[in-house]
Amino acid sequence: MTDDPRYGAEVRRRMRDLPGAASLPEGVATASGGAGDVEQGARVEFEFQVEGGRVARGRFRAFGCPHLVAAASWVTDRLRGSGRDEVAAWDWREAAEALEVPPAKFGRLLTVQDAVRDAARNWPVEPGPGV
Amino acid sequence: MKVVYLDNAATTAVDPRVVETMLECCGPDGDFANPSSVGHAPGRRARARVEQARAEVARLVGAEPGQVVWTSGATEADNLALFGAARFHRALGRHLVTSRTEHPAVLDSCRQLEREGFEVAYLKPGPDGIVQPSQVEAALRPDTILVSLMHVQNEIGVVQDVGAVGRLCRARGVLLHVDSAQGAGKLPIDVERDCIDLLALTAHKVHGPKGVGALVVRREPRLGLVPILYGGGQERGLRSGTLPTHQVAGMGRAFAIAGEEMHADAERITALRELLWGALEAIPGVALNGHRSQRVQGILSVTVDGVEGESLLHALADLAIASGSACATTNAEPSYVLRALGLSDRLAQGTLRLSLGRFTTRADVEFAADRIVTEVLRLRAIAPAAPRTART
Repeated sequence: MTDDPRYGAEVRRRMRDLPGAASLPEGVATASGGAGDVEQGARVEFEFQVEGGRVARGRFRAFGCPHLVAAASWVTDRLRGSGRDEVAAWDWREAAEALEVPPAKFGRLLTVQDAVRDAARNWPVEPGPGV
Repeated sequence: MKVVYLDNAATTAVDPRVVETMLECCGPDGDFANPSSVGHAPGRRARARVEQARAEVARLVGAEPGQVVWTSGATEADNLALFGAARFHRALGRHLVTSRTEHPAVLDSCRQLEREGFEVAYLKPGPDGIVQPSQVEAALRPDTILVSLMHVQNEIGVVQDVGAVGRLCRARGVLLHVDSAQGAGKLPIDVERDCIDLLALTAHKVHGPKGVGALVVRREPRLGLVPILYGGGQERGLRSGTLPTHQVAGMGRAFAIAGEEMHADAERITALRELLWGALEAIPGVALNGHRSQRVQGILSVTVDGVEGESLLHALADLAIASGSACATTNAEPSYVLRALGLSDRLAQGTLRLSLGRFTTRADVEFAADRIVTEVLRLRAIAPAAPRTART
């Protein structure tokens, strides 16, 4: 897609393929969260399908720079299998390192972190056995 | 990866015919000598090249060859015009008029002049990017010594009515400086007809080389300028420094070709621009910036709502195009030109400038249109739902 050195290989791959970009189907137990403002140039929304108290799969929608979009995509993979506490504690620095994000873009990753933690606050109550 | 070049407003490829002329001035058998060394034959041949180029540049803009002062480009020409005229005429007044959408070569010079005690009025163009002559007229004061207005706006491509402004300035005894870096060679301009006292030109926007330009200076009555460079006294003392014969000859050839082919180029490029705009216009939420018809043929500035600009540029890596940011780096600032037109920061950052040139083909335009449509739709599909925002 591009050989622009401002973006690492993983950012370029995720911008090309956009893995995890979509919405979950209706009717699944979902932890949803969002942060940022399109008018300010950055907005991220997550939907995590929760099964047995853990993230079974994640989906994102994003408006922002390539680093932000790639980080949102990366999070949907990273948090698969995580419980609520792990999701709530997720830290943006992980994505910064994995995606070789330059310091000037760290603020964008805070938006991703805010959206993740918002989803943790909206953790669904799954139906118990026999319900 | 194939990359289609649509950034001709930034710079153009040098026309092979210009390259040929330049090469004739470079090698050991060429006309490489110092054109000031007229005491020997090689120097005189170089001088002849320079004077031929001077005549070619003058012819394109309705000037006499003796009015052309070579510079390193339009930025230096703008600096010489503004500092040279303001400092020479400061006893007559210390007020200047310009617009908010001028090139930084003008705006930054004006700010420096403010630090030197001048006052500058910065006119706000209409939402279409046009500065009305009546605005200029209203801004003139008894102590106004100079108006600076660009011919073609480099980001949005609108054409200012410099002739009307020139006539009213002439009637009021005020000097008019016009930066025609984006206009000369693409649109007719005539310093006599348009009453332009100082005209800044560059070669590299019209398929000439980078690093050379000119300032056309009114001679009758003679216009005084204070130089900004001192040294060997070349160019009648207005611009010291050894002339780069190959660059100057290249500019002359580029302007000669532009003069010969202007009409045909304009017709062909306008058709390509309309083809491109027709494809982009079909995308919901895409708007053209600047006046619809009062524009140069090769520049199209489009704002794409609902897509973040940096991501769109990243996705369009197979197109060499410009964005509505000052730069595409991490510290990108929205364009002051687009802001002056009333665009929000977000819309300014979602703006693309596509600029066509002599070597742009129909296939290039069709490829670009297809790629832009594809990527806009792809990025919008992953964006959170947000209301389309009108211009502020």
